[in-house]
Amino acid sequence: MNRISLKLSIMMTSVALAAMLAGVWIAASDRENESRAMLLPDRVMTLFPDPKPLTAFALTDHQNRVFDLSRLKGKWSFLFFGFTHCPDVCPTTLAELARARDNIAKNTPGAEDIQFVFISVDPNRDTAGKLRQYVTYFHTTFLGVTGNDAQIAKLAGQLDAAYQVAFTPGMENYPVYHTTTVFLVDPRARYHAIFTPPLDAETIGRRFKVLRELEGAKAT
Amino acid sequence: MRWRRTVFACLVLALTPFPAASEEAVVSVRDAWVRETPPGMTMMAGYMALRNNTSRPQVLVAASSSGFETVMIHRTIVKDGMAGMAHESQIELTPNASLIFAPGGYHLMLMSPKRTLRAGDSVAINLKFRGGLVLAVAFEVRK
Repeated sequence: MNRISLKLSIMMTSVALAAMLAGVWIAASDRENESRAMLLPDRVMTLFPDPKPLTAFALTDHQNRVFDLSRLKGKWSFLFFGFTHCPDVCPTTLAELARARDNIAKNTPGAEDIQFVFISVDPNRDTAGKLRQYVTYFHTTFLGVTGNDAQIAKLAGQLDAAYQVAFTPGMENYPVYHTTTVFLVDPRARYHAIFTPPLDAETIGRRFKVLRELEGAKAT
Repeated sequence: MRWRRTVFACLVLALTPFPAASEEAVVSVRDAWVRETPPGMTMMAGYMALRNNTSRPQVLVAASSSGFETVMIHRTIVKDGMAGMAHESQIELTPNASLIFAPGGYHLMLMSPKRTLRAGDSVAINLKFRGGLVLAVAFEVRK
């Protein structure tokens, strides 16, 4: 009787110990997974271990100011390529990026060093005035930029941003194809990461916060 | 004698067609909405959840609205790393299943609204199915 209860209590103790150890182990591996998720590509953000410095380009923003390489320095820039006659992907993305911007402003200290730039690949229809109306509707801080074909290609090429404008003279609603990726350029104007759809503001905000902390720590 | 009258009444009820109710039952539409656009923009997109409540395929063949110059059934497709739009001439709804029109996928492309649509407004769009069924659906404009 006694022996049985002793055995039982030993068994119970080992079960409890095993459970505790398992708990500790799970917690530890969770932390490890989390820290790895910060660094490794996932379905939302892909980080480039060796960010590529961008080279000179020149576009024009919605206030008719030059938007060149210098405008990317000192700020984290979220870049998205599209066109204003786009009914589905562009409004969906810009609305989500507007929420992401608010999320970052709320949760990341010192987040004023960010900018969101919509690059129109359809300069034929997207004038500076039209771009201003369009981007500021989604967020008052958003910038709209464009240029001629060669000027757009100069930046898009460095990011491998695919687009194609099937411009047909006389045709009002010619098709435009463009990448749905959001490109992240760091304050040293280096191509640092991408976000791929389905995009959601909270995840972008969370990932960006971690990245910014990592980069901030490196700088000091 | 009384039961006969009751049976007759029941038969009449059972045989009386309720077109609205039976049409609703063939395909139901939920969560129909249109995204509000920035001022001056003429391209809008409509989204919804369709459900085929029958055991036969139902085919959406067209959409129209007096609120827009043109309405087309489109699908966003991604090819060679680029998103573009494909015009769909018809969409078959699987029996007893749902089909969702959502951002990044199927959508109604709504061109040139006749009046400015703002969040909270409602706009009617007719969905035409093969066999003659037409559903008039109220789409809510959302930001």
